[in-house]
Amino acid sequence: MGKQYQIIVDVYEKIFRGIPELVLILFIYFGVGLGLGFPPFKHAFTAATFALGLRSGAHQSQIFRGAIRGIGEEQMMAARSLGLSRLQAIFRVMVPQTFIIATPGLGSEYSLLVKDSSYAFIIGVPDIMFWTNRVIATPPLDPVFPYFAAAFLYILLTFPLATYLDMWGSRKKKQLGLQEGEG
Amino acid sequence: MGEQKKEAVGTPGGRRIADIILECRNLWKIYGKIVAVKDVSLEVKEGDIKLIFGPSGSGKSTLARCLAMLTTPTKGDVFLMGECLTKPGVDLNKARAKIGFVFQHIWLFHHLSALGNIELGLRRVLKLPKNEAREQAIQALKEVKMEEWANHFPAQLSGGQQQRVGIARALAMSPEIIILDEPTSALDPELTGEVIDTLRDLAKKGTTMLVISHEMPFAREVADEMIFLDEGMIVERGQPELFFTKPSSERARRFMARLIKLTRRE
Repeated sequence: MGKQYQIIVDVYEKIFRGIPELVLILFIYFGVGLGLGFPPFKHAFTAATFALGLRSGAHQSQIFRGAIRGIGEEQMMAARSLGLSRLQAIFRVMVPQTFIIATPGLGSEYSLLVKDSSYAFIIGVPDIMFWTNRVIATPPLDPVFPYFAAAFLYILLTFPLATYLDMWGSRKKKQLGLQEGEG
Repeated sequence: MGEQKKEAVGTPGGRRIADIILECRNLWKIYGKIVAVKDVSLEVKEGDIKLIFGPSGSGKSTLARCLAMLTTPTKGDVFLMGECLTKPGVDLNKARAKIGFVFQHIWLFHHLSALGNIELGLRRVLKLPKNEAREQAIQALKEVKMEEWANHFPAQLSGGQQQRVGIARALAMSPEIIILDEPTSALDPELTGEVIDTLRDLAKKGTTMLVISHEMPFAREVADEMIFLDEGMIVERGQPELFFTKPSSERARRFMARLIKLTRRE
């Protein structure tokens, strides 16, 4: 066990970190959905969600892997020495620390995901960008304000949570005795 | 000595009776081509304090981890209270809960307070209710004189304080034996004293211990037997006085001479 999964995860990470989000969305919707006729991906929303998830998953997997490596085998062994089962050790000792160490990475990944979702309008998903373009196009309008409004909405979606995560992360990290930027 | 708990324990094997707590027979641990532990047999009786020492890389830590079944031995058997832990199908989690382990680099859970570190095993392994676990955890902290620091996180404690919490964490589970893997060697010299004092207290209470340490004055004072390990093998064993006066093996003699010289220089 272990080794095969490692290879699968490795390949997954490498592939989906290497494909631009736009290409992935178009490929899954037009290629897999409409071209190959895979029913779920004929829906633009499903196809976009899937494309975003695949790419984000690859990044998150890498973020968590780094975090787990940062905690190390030691915490696991200490937990097992008390008689905790492997599963208990993972959920009581490893996971809580993993999330703390992963926060800066997770915060920026979350922002990236929200921003990448703006590509979905290209395949007709009615999101912020879709409506922005609609507003501009129907009675031709000066595009400055609509785009400004869109930008503001994206900031509204990313900024509070990313900032909160950052603050929570650095507070917790201080508790763990990790300096900012370490681990 | 050994007045703590005297539940005579059945011996499934039928060979050893009563008071041998932990035992290994012909234990080997091999990593690839490296033989870390080579045919080691030893037993720890109730109330015993055994001290293992030897040069770095001599397999002390590996031996300790094999005894606690934190590492699976390559060959040989480990027995806890007469129960063989090296045969398949043994509930190792249950066995590990009865063997306290204190690590050289302490390894407290960083995300939990001193109290939380101790409560984890009590709550999740021994399944004690919340208030009972709290009570026992505080009791354990009192035994290492750390009760005032209960709500501090490991990062807020000094190395010596952390190690005392580490000892309390092992102690709180009421283990049959505590194995301490060089509990003071990662600490600054001025912090080792408080940890040694804690160990001395435990010794006085009759706690069964297997200690890996090079704290020779401590060894001389409390150890029932000292075991000199080199290249994975037991080279010499006997009462402390033997080592301090006339070790019979050349290797032990040289090692003792070096240790004593080092201690004087400080």
